[in-house]
Amino acid sequence: MRAGYLYLLIAVMLLGLSFLKDKQKTREAVKATFKIFYVVLPVLVFVLMGLIQAYVSREFIVSILGQKSGLLGIFYAEIIGSIALFLPPAVFPFGGYLHDNGASYGAIAGFVFTAILIGVTTLPLELKLFGKRFTLARNLLTFGLTFFIAILMEGILP
Amino acid sequence: MKKMLKNDAFWFLSLSVLIILVVYGFNAGKGVIVAKTVYDTFFEVLDIIVAVSIFIGLFQVWVKPQTIVKLLGKGSGLKGFVLVCTFPILMGGSLFTVFPLLKALREKGARIGAIASFITAWGGKAPLLPLESKFLGWPFALVRIGFVIIFAFVMGFLMDWVGENTEKIKQEKSFLVDL
Repeated sequence: MRAGYLYLLIAVMLLGLSFLKDKQKTREAVKATFKIFYVVLPVLVFVLMGLIQAYVSREFIVSILGQKSGLLGIFYAEIIGSIALFLPPAVFPFGGYLHDNGASYGAIAGFVFTAILIGVTTLPLELKLFGKRFTLARNLLTFGLTFFIAILMEGILP
Repeated sequence: MKKMLKNDAFWFLSLSVLIILVVYGFNAGKGVIVAKTVYDTFFEVLDIIVAVSIFIGLFQVWVKPQTIVKLLGKGSGLKGFVLVCTFPILMGGSLFTVFPLLKALREKGARIGAIASFITAWGGKAPLLPLESKFLGWPFALVRIGFVIIFAFVMGFLMDWVGENTEKIKQEKSFLVDL
């Protein structure tokens, strides 16, 4: 059985449980689910994956993000993650795609962390709410610590 | 129709079709490759994305972000720090929804280290585990979430250190002005 069906089964069971407890809240949850579905479904990222499939060779991906690219590969992956305008749900399919095409676990970890935690789109809001010093320090520290974690993950995962 | 034009999803979909058509126009073979990748990936993740959407929808209704922030606002000391480094892993949403809540927490007196730990832990993204494990495998997903907790701890310490230095500089400045 596909893992997806199992999750669907659990989701429907939870919906039922929620319905038994509170009908109104469950109605709200179902409404929210439709909205979330559109946000979560990363169609444009699928297209980007298709474009890479058509125009970028596997050798190229391996050469910049593969195991042999080492520390520089992790660094490149972090740069890509920092500037990529991905919503979190799009990060994993794209990361998996890169891994299937030869990117190392370390590079993927670098990409995943920076794509979720550093965002060009959220930068203005962070600056406005928390100020220059906080924003600069948090983003730089995130980039730096991600680098170390990515190296460790590369070492731990086969 | 008006409602459709306002919907981001509608624009993303149209843009996607447009890109595929343009690629197909230049080179039919490449166009087919792009379309096939989109089609394959779409049906590979559809069931998981529906399930994840339901999880997040239910979670949003039963555990409101405000509730979490309130809970964290109460915890102080080591217990509060541990909560702030672990609990946000369970949250969904984007940074756009998280930042304003944290601003409120900051105004109530939370340390900037706690704010930074919260943001980092939020990056754990447990609601997306079905997606992560499908595309990158369970070992990657679990090791990553383990590191998120360590990451959040270190981040909190470092940001508090940065914050303390800021306070010092501010004090020095005001001292100068007073003179």
